[in-house]
Amino acid sequence: MEGVLFPRGVAEGREGLKAYVARGGYQALAKALKRSPEEIIRLIDQAGLRGRGGAGFPTGKKWQLTREATGEPRYLVMNGGEDEPGSKKDRVLLENLPHLVIEGTILSAYAIGAAKAYLYINARYDIAIRSIGDALAEAKAEGYWGENILGGNFSLDLEIFPAPHNYVAGEDTAVLEVIEGKKPLPRQKPPFPVTAGLFGKPTSVNNVETLANVAPIVRYGAEWYRKFGTAESPGTMIFSLDDDVNRPGIYELPFGTPLRYLIEECGGGMRGGKKIKAIMPAAPSSAYLPPEKLDTPLDHNSMRAAGSSLGCGVVRLVAQGSCIVEEVIKISEFFTAESCGQCPACRMETNTLTALLKKVQGGQGGPPVLEQFGKIIAFNKGKGFCNLIAMPGPPIESALKLFPGDFEAHLATGKCPVQ
Amino acid sequence: MSRICLVCQNIDCKSRGSEQLMTELQKRVAARGLEDVEVKPYMCFGACQEGPNIVLYPEKNWYAQVKVEDLDEIADHLAGGPHVKRLDTIDSSLKELIYQLLDTGVL
Repeated sequence: MEGVLFPRGVAEGREGLKAYVARGGYQALAKALKRSPEEIIRLIDQAGLRGRGGAGFPTGKKWQLTREATGEPRYLVMNGGEDEPGSKKDRVLLENLPHLVIEGTILSAYAIGAAKAYLYINARYDIAIRSIGDALAEAKAEGYWGENILGGNFSLDLEIFPAPHNYVAGEDTAVLEVIEGKKPLPRQKPPFPVTAGLFGKPTSVNNVETLANVAPIVRYGAEWYRKFGTAESPGTMIFSLDDDVNRPGIYELPFGTPLRYLIEECGGGMRGGKKIKAIMPAAPSSAYLPPEKLDTPLDHNSMRAAGSSLGCGVVRLVAQGSCIVEEVIKISEFFTAESCGQCPACRMETNTLTALLKKVQGGQGGPPVLEQFGKIIAFNKGKGFCNLIAMPGPPIESALKLFPGDFEAHLATGKCPVQ
Repeated sequence: MSRICLVCQNIDCKSRGSEQLMTELQKRVAARGLEDVEVKPYMCFGACQEGPNIVLYPEKNWYAQVKVEDLDEIADHLAGGPHVKRLDTIDSSLKELIYQLLDTGVL
């Protein structure tokens, strides 16, 4: 299937400068520098590009807010902190298509009026860091970044910044704290980074995949881009499949492609010929969907209507014969461990949910225990500096709704119903 | 059913001395011969900014910002003395949530 990022929809090895230029690479930059930054923002807005880090926020709008905010200098931060379990799309983009990512970063910096951009990359991604480092050297030698890019007035400094490898270090404002030399702790918002970000200055933090979409849009136009995807989610998105399926990997698909296509055609179905019990379209923090929802289109609106979300495209499957209680315990423990601990509500919520789930697992308590989950989640809604507090809720509540029998069996016997 | 005194042992309360509070409260409870009272650690009540927190159950009394010098009054309360009003500062909706959790009997 034709893609926006990967020419054939799948990653095919590292593309160096020569190969990238041979297929039109850096032409978007030359084109953009002849136009005003406002025109580039308008173009991205018309294309309908939405952030690929999980929230799906309109990129053009984020840039406009950054550009219009008071304060100099402005900063751009490429967020490659990627630490969601199962997500590898940013790593593959950085490793295989470094120039596509770099050209997008330069274009974005031009659009918001940034003279400095940080390339924040998970420190464990040594191949990606080397790939980007090499590509930066190649691109600088050609005058694609540095002083007076391509002989014009726009100058930009680019710097790689290794990211600590923990989940919260990928949260936009935690990213800013790390670059400022502090611990990866999310900030209270507002103010948002677009008005008071890095060193208190207007900053746009954009995911790697989001930035990778920018050069193709500038090169081929908004109309071309909108040929992919749906009206509200234009373009393509990279989905990650883990070893739940026969062919794990990352797949670039137009938004709106049915979930079934990703799992069956791309992934080759569940490993070992197992049947699907539940699907988590945005692991580890989305609601589970039952197998009857396999034809749900992979786009923001359709997923919301089906009761789940798209996140950053890590699709996980639960096989029939697996116990959902055991699954949600793993998820809840993950968020308990990854909660940074600075917000009391998050600390209490994540610890309590995990403790209660373990009691259910061991058969302690009765039905009133099951009623507590919704109460804890509702009580803590909207509290906390970042969104982590909202993450354990959808998996746990959807599991309780879809598979009450698994919980009841644990409570009744203290044993797992499927083991 | 025996009575319990839950002393939060999460990081904030701990940093404000809740480990010592637990040991000291155990001593005071023993000194008063309150054999039906068990002083136990708790993982987090969600009121870290007002810690250290101690919750008495099933009485459902929540004492916040407890200092060592408050412990005699708390132990006296457990022995039938008056409720220590000045330490009762927690928001009622949080209290309700935590008391409901404790009512399940599993935590």
